Amino acid sequence: MMPTSAIQDLHELYDYLDAAIQLEHATLPPYLVALYSVHPGTNPDAVQILRVVAVEEMLHLTIAANVLNAVGGKPDLNAPGFVPAYPTHLPSGETDFEVGTGAFTPAALETFLKIERPGMSGRGARQLIAKARNRSGSFLGRHPRDSGWSYYSIGDFYNAIRDGLRTLEEEARKSGGTIFTGEPSRQVTSEYYYSGGGKLRAVTDLDSALAALELVIEQGEGEDHGIWSGDGELSHYYRFQQLQLGRYYEPGDMEPGRPTGAEIKIDWDAVYPVKPNIKLSDFPPKSELLGVAKAFNDAYRRFLDLLTQSYNGRPELLLEAVPFMFSFRNMVNELIRNPLPGGGNAAPTFEV
Amino acid sequence: MVDDQRFQTFLELSEAITGFGRVRLLGTGQAELYFATAERVVGHAIMDELLTAFADLPTRTPELLRLHLFGNEMLGDVVRNLVKLWFGGVWYQLPAIWQQAYGPAAEDGTFIPSPDAYVEGLMWVAIGAHPAGAKAPGFASWAVAPQIPLS
Repeated sequence: MMPTSAIQDLHELYDYLDAAIQLEHATLPPYLVALYSVHPGTNPDAVQILRVVAVEEMLHLTIAANVLNAVGGKPDLNAPGFVPAYPTHLPSGETDFEVGTGAFTPAALETFLKIERPGMSGRGARQLIAKARNRSGSFLGRHPRDSGWSYYSIGDFYNAIRDGLRTLEEEARKSGGTIFTGEPSRQVTSEYYYSGGGKLRAVTDLDSALAALELVIEQGEGEDHGIWSGDGELSHYYRFQQLQLGRYYEPGDMEPGRPTGAEIKIDWDAVYPVKPNIKLSDFPPKSELLGVAKAFNDAYRRFLDLLTQSYNGRPELLLEAVPFMFSFRNMVNELIRNPLPGGGNAAPTFEV
Repeated sequence: MVDDQRFQTFLELSEAITGFGRVRLLGTGQAELYFATAERVVGHAIMDELLTAFADLPTRTPELLRLHLFGNEMLGDVVRNLVKLWFGGVWYQLPAIWQQAYGPAAEDGTFIPSPDAYVEGLMWVAIGAHPAGAKAPGFASWAVAPQIPLS
């Protein structure tokens, strides 16, 4: 007998939501390094798609924090191991691929498709994928709390969280309570978050929590395995697939894998050859370039501090985090355009 | 990546005449283009003379740069143009008198070598600002004091 929910108590729910926050963040360095590895002024289709996806992952990060806050948890982006050492398995526990930082290449695109791939769980057969709870499983970069689940896709992972929310809330209601005990002022809403890939609504109860996570799933892998979301947006998986197939989907296309829109051409040579999964130890000692890479990591650590505070009762700080993010773009570009003496180009190392 | 010695010397020359380090210069993504642009306009021979004159300097002090590069009749206009190119992203047409003496430079004229040249202009960094219409620093960033990297 499959358990009705992979999540049995509030602490497991916290673990899952911690992992969700970690997961959404963990996709960003791979997407952003690939995005900025593209030569300026080239590959506009790939640049646009990578950018849109990355921005939506940032929205998902904040949504996951809102849900954790709604059930009384405390988001912590400074926890040891929160930023994974790339290459790494994703915190959702897909075991058949790793993600890493590097240039935009056909192999990187292949990995991005795996990150966003449609799940195994249909709406009716959600539990079939909770093969999970493989306690012996280990993945790099996991939250220090030992979990050990293994989902086929991010959507499956989120569906497990949705099930857990339903189950735990149902139990709580039986005794006249609720799991949604979080302080509403800890919610990050649209007044603190702008042009970020979708609406950010407060999570205060089961319905708003399920709706928020539904948006994450839809934007990532699509709704019910379709190409389009309810409001006509293409999911990340199919956005990336367009780059692989060299053609855009257009409204009216219903068959996955058969886009009929405009052609997309990618110039794979117009990309800086970023050294994959670069670490500070790959930089020449005492070099100016090493200084820039360290400065980036220092700034990134302060940025994660700021995000943690924003998600812990001071949402207005998110506005201060904005210029940080824009300055990262400039720093990342500068690093990526600099060759390393040993071959390959530099990149931020995200060793915080 | 252009890895030859001439490009490396061009980078060192660019460091000396702009005050910015090579990481920042390469970080614009324009270094190779600027080298190619200048060489295309003034020709391989004059570029060689410039690079050699620079490489031959015993020290790279402002005085020696002024004396041997900026103060040189032929090289001065080229070096000044490189400074303007790095800071403003525009190659300005060389003076008529330069053309008469050292031309013809058929490719000369006032032009912008790439759409990113303006965006990557060092003047924005130098004044702690961002190019209008590009590299947006984010809502309310104007409340933060500018960071000027040159001390």
